[in-house]
Amino acid sequence: MDTITLEAKDICVDFPGVKALAHVDFQLLSGEIHALVGANGAGKSTLMKVLAGANPGYRGDIRLDGEAVELRSPGTAKRLGIQIVYQEVDQALAPALSAAENMLLDELGKPGRLWVDWRALYRQAEQLKCQLRMDFDVRMPVSRLTLAQKQMVLIARALHSRCRILLLDEPTAPLSTVETETLFALCRDLVKERRISIVFISHRLPEVLGLCDRYTVLLGGKLAASGPITPQTTAGELVAHMLGGEMETARSRLSGAPGGELLSVHGLSSRDGSLRDISLTVRHGEIIGLAGLVGAGKSELCKALFGILPRASGEILLDGRPVNPRCPADGAALGMGLVPEERRKEGLFPGESVSFHLGIASLKQWSRLSFLSSRRLEQNARTQIERLEIKTPSTRQRMELLSGGNQQKAVVGKWLAAGCRLYLLDEPTKGVDVGAKAEMLRLMTQLAQAGCGVLYASADPSELLQVTDRIYVLYGGSIAAELVTARTSEEEITYYAVGGKAPFLPPEQRERGTQS
Amino acid sequence: MNQIPHKRGAAGFWMDWAAVIALAAAVMVFALLRGGTFLSPANAVNILRSMSITTIFAIGATITMAPDGFDMSACTLATVSSFLFASLFLWFGLPLWVSVVLTVVLTMGLYLLAMFLILVCRVPDMLATCAMMFVYQGLGLWWTGGGAVSAGMPTPWGAAPARSGWTEGALAIGSAPWCILIMLACTGFAFVFLRYTRHGRCLYAMGSNHTAAAYSGIPVKRYRFLAGMLTAAMIAVGAIVVCSRNSAAQISGCDSYLMPSLAAVFVGRSVGGAEKPNALGTLAGAALVAVLENGLTQMGVVYYVLPAVKGGVLALALVAAYGPRRRKAYIMP
Repeated sequence: MDTITLEAKDICVDFPGVKALAHVDFQLLSGEIHALVGANGAGKSTLMKVLAGANPGYRGDIRLDGEAVELRSPGTAKRLGIQIVYQEVDQALAPALSAAENMLLDELGKPGRLWVDWRALYRQAEQLKCQLRMDFDVRMPVSRLTLAQKQMVLIARALHSRCRILLLDEPTAPLSTVETETLFALCRDLVKERRISIVFISHRLPEVLGLCDRYTVLLGGKLAASGPITPQTTAGELVAHMLGGEMETARSRLSGAPGGELLSVHGLSSRDGSLRDISLTVRHGEIIGLAGLVGAGKSELCKALFGILPRASGEILLDGRPVNPRCPADGAALGMGLVPEERRKEGLFPGESVSFHLGIASLKQWSRLSFLSSRRLEQNARTQIERLEIKTPSTRQRMELLSGGNQQKAVVGKWLAAGCRLYLLDEPTKGVDVGAKAEMLRLMTQLAQAGCGVLYASADPSELLQVTDRIYVLYGGSIAAELVTARTSEEEITYYAVGGKAPFLPPEQRERGTQS
Repeated sequence: MNQIPHKRGAAGFWMDWAAVIALAAAVMVFALLRGGTFLSPANAVNILRSMSITTIFAIGATITMAPDGFDMSACTLATVSSFLFASLFLWFGLPLWVSVVLTVVLTMGLYLLAMFLILVCRVPDMLATCAMMFVYQGLGLWWTGGGAVSAGMPTPWGAAPARSGWTEGALAIGSAPWCILIMLACTGFAFVFLRYTRHGRCLYAMGSNHTAAAYSGIPVKRYRFLAGMLTAAMIAVGAIVVCSRNSAAQISGCDSYLMPSLAAVFVGRSVGGAEKPNALGTLAGAALVAVLENGLTQMGVVYYVLPAVKGGVLALALVAAYGPRRRKAYIMP
């Protein structure tokens, strides 16, 4: 158990302008699940990429079973049995090929093979499917699988190429509770039966404590702490390491008296059937939570309101006036601001500067007769950077070089600059570190106090409980319950989110109910 | 905190200025080898004149490619525009300025077909314009009755043309000072438009991430349409210059400008670290193509080998501009 499989010493990585990793040591024992935690921008992903050979510019020593190795290309890492499953699973998959082909993709690409042996391919894929207890047709094209299933395909691919070390980069971020449990059971099996070592990145500390054997915490590109996880280890302890002592928690919101009705929706259904008969209201100065599992329709609802998802029926009133947003430009013109869930795909212009991002939704404001005023754009960027505490060396920094939390702040910042009245925030804290998360929640409170409406969609009930006034729980595309935050609990939200029908009873009442 | 946005090493500098360095190197080599013949003012005008048409078409392509669009049909459409211009001027005897304006308007009208396929039918740009290329080709020849349009030829319906020949004004468009000025005007317009206006910024936002641009409230379809119409205008202008230079609208007269103009845009993409199609880069790219052509001809390279040499040097410039990037490709931020 205690033999060291992989040892990395004194790893340094420089990115232009930033030191991504500075003298980090990392040890992985054989047959363990090792948690790699840290705030966003702490260097977790960078370290993972070094180990996966995807970051050939690193400095330092890496030893595998005591032998020095040079992980300068992904191919080398794979040959040595190190496999990685990235957070963005789609980048590693060929969407048009079947799940089976994707599982055995490494083999299909081998030289010296001319014909594809379909029978052998499907047989092997079926075997992998049984081992991983997957329940879908391996002949189905990958583009039709869910995120969780795509992850499984990638893990199957890693297993097939006899991996000894499996790196999982935030695998649970997009998964629902049930899917997460399935993944964890699989991880435990792999470690027990195949003696594979797993490195596991996650922002969800309870998961980490439940699953992993040891942890390594990074802070600002340096090693902050490392040690075994015992039943005594608490999340608070890890958070303290992650933040280096500067902890700031979001204060519970002072509920002010909300104003008049800002948004009211009656009987909204989407054309693709993902939303059915949604009715809700948001008043000025209110933060409304949208709870529900992944796929329950939270994103779809935000997109339907913003004009992205076509509506089949229903009525939207904004400040009492019926509106009909048919494209995102309509939504923006009506004073709505959407912070989409998939930041990289839907929110960022990777090669463009911070000031470009912060001004893009309000260009009319920064131009005269169509000509942009770079002075006013800069001014706006500086204002928003200060207001949101975006950490960037300058307003001209390329967005792709900022950390996830700061990128997210810039996406929110463009709407602040545009001065929206209704903010649609779809999982704004996803993939964002603890500090930025607290700031995001505080920002929502500020927006509400300024009289704006906030619709805040999150799969994490505990976050919703911290800042919202009311919560709508979505289940299967319709509203399962409307709850007042002050009088509800995480259990009640989860109860409705997983499809509970009967009125929810708190545990003590429930027992009385069954006795009588 | 106020450091340079992104530090890049010597390789970065080489990448950013590859097209300009190649241009300077080419000028120096030819100057050393041919001396005064190459460096004379007359030859400079020669080079500028020969690059003017490519540049105008390339500027059109730049505007379409800024929002990540693409146009395969541009130069085929230009041939049609040149037919239109020549026939309006010769057959119908319209005044020069009316012919010019009408040609631009009609070209935009024809471009609506491509826009319809792209924006309404949602066909990818590349495929839509590929199909339109053949449509334009056929439409153009149908209009002229299957032949070129030149002075003194009768109309397809047998009538005598209203004008028997080109006027001096019409011929001036394609000759030395004017075609160069037109080229500079087009480049200047595109430079200011793309770089200093809010519309240009929206186009670049679409080019960087189409979904994010749409979700930021940019009316993406309207802007794609705008880019298409501006491209059509550039195509028409280029066609008029070609027509005036040849004093005729020849069959497939403009088709051969497509690849050089696209090459100019691609070479110019990385100029100054822009990483997107930009007017000045395109101008540099077109200049590189023209200098190579001119210098190599003077060196006595026979005309039928010329494309190979020209292509080789272009490929080198592209390697310098795009090659070093590959090493970074693994590192996803």
